[in-house]
Amino acid sequence: MKRRRRTEILIQGDPLLAENLAESIITTYECQEIIPPQYGLTMVKMRESAKNSLFYIGEVLVTEAKVEIKGNLGIGIVAGIQEELAKYLAIIDAAYKADLPETVEWEPRLLEAERNITRERAKKQAELFETKVDFQTMDV
Amino acid sequence: MGYVAVKGGTNAIEASIKRLKYERLKGEEIIEINTILSSMRSMVDQVMSESSLYSPYLAALAIKQAEGSMEEAVFLMRAHRSTLPRLYYSQTVESEEMLVERRISASFKDIPGGQLLGATKDYTHRLLDFDLIEENAEGNQQWLDDYLKELETIEAAESVTYFPKVVDYLREEGLFENYEADNTPPTDITKQSLHFPASRSARLQVLTRGQTGAVTSLGYASLRGYGQVHPTVGEVRVGSLPIYVSHPNEAEQNMEDEFYIGDITITEVESFVPVTVKNENNEQELEFEIGYGVCYGQNETKAIAMSILDQCLEDPESNFPTHDEEFVLLHIDSVESTGFMSHLKLPHYVTFQSKLDSVRQVKKGGHINED
Repeated sequence: MKRRRRTEILIQGDPLLAENLAESIITTYECQEIIPPQYGLTMVKMRESAKNSLFYIGEVLVTEAKVEIKGNLGIGIVAGIQEELAKYLAIIDAAYKADLPETVEWEPRLLEAERNITRERAKKQAELFETKVDFQTMDV
Repeated sequence: MGYVAVKGGTNAIEASIKRLKYERLKGEEIIEINTILSSMRSMVDQVMSESSLYSPYLAALAIKQAEGSMEEAVFLMRAHRSTLPRLYYSQTVESEEMLVERRISASFKDIPGGQLLGATKDYTHRLLDFDLIEENAEGNQQWLDDYLKELETIEAAESVTYFPKVVDYLREEGLFENYEADNTPPTDITKQSLHFPASRSARLQVLTRGQTGAVTSLGYASLRGYGQVHPTVGEVRVGSLPIYVSHPNEAEQNMEDEFYIGDITITEVESFVPVTVKNENNEQELEFEIGYGVCYGQNETKAIAMSILDQCLEDPESNFPTHDEEFVLLHIDSVESTGFMSHLKLPHYVTFQSKLDSVRQVKKGGHINED
């Protein structure tokens, strides 16, 4: 699974999933911490809809970690103060970089988690739709 | 006339800082960060927006430390931000990807996807709720249980809906100008000081981090007649946007290999502003332009006011101060304006003595020494 999709699942879903996946790597392989979780900023570039141009809306606090497995560098980046999660994400990223066999086994778990995220979001959205206005035109 | 260095305030300053701590603690109540996060949502949003740093947790900490002073909390956040490395720049965030929590239009009753009120104070009675004095955890839990039970019966769709923009439909009809995507790298006012005339990106960056009160006041001034913009709100939307960053070292940059790092909640506004333009036959014609407003968190007043000011600054020919970008952009920043006001409290002994001497001379019938 590509990085964009898997990081969406690991960050939006149950944080225990990232922990479990990372733990399974830590117990089997040597994970060298290159950069321990550190705080930093990400500047957010946005497109405005009036003239279709770009501008910076502001910065987001992020936690970043870097881990190496078998000479492959993995990076974990997540918004907020999340040292553990950043470290787990870096380990998982390095595992994919190193093409470890475990990553193939993770696929069904990630897909299941993705389905849960979509289901929960759709449910929350349906709940919000209770506030949708049903306009009725009055006869005068 | 030279400056005179003075000393002797150290002990008083130390005692004053102790006194400040005493004022925060003397009530013997502790407000937890999580309490602020859970119950002071608007305040947290405002601090993040004005400090231009998205971190609800740090904003809540700043509010606690500042004892609720917004200007102080924003100052603390900006100061903290300056100690952190900027590790990444995000990929371009497109607001079509917003997971909408609230979305209304004042221009059209029927907008594609419908009007979603979400959570809003707009329709509440502005009467003090004295029941909150007696609020307790059990009662709140009961309310939550009942509410969630009510929601259980609601059936969800298979997938999540993403709402189209109202303005896109009007563009398709040819009622608004269609602009090609302009990918000019934006100016970053945190790296380059503001120059005039400012680029559009610099203007938007200053406006979005402007002090809520200042942005609102100037937008209001324009509406009342000290400007030439009176818009109709095309769309206000509040929701979360995903943020992606590309890999710092990988040579091949593929969208699928980007990092998703989390979501930010924002308020975005498009205001429709009628303008008179001359057509090919030199006849006056009515057209619409769009004023754009956006800010971190849910702060609709600020975003609407920003959309007015954006449109004002797009029309610098007007003589009103709200159309003058130096006037607007140099006076709406919280840290700059409150900092400058604050400096007036600092010792001005020498300059003031000099003024006093001049006044004394005049009163005595002498002349002001021009030297």
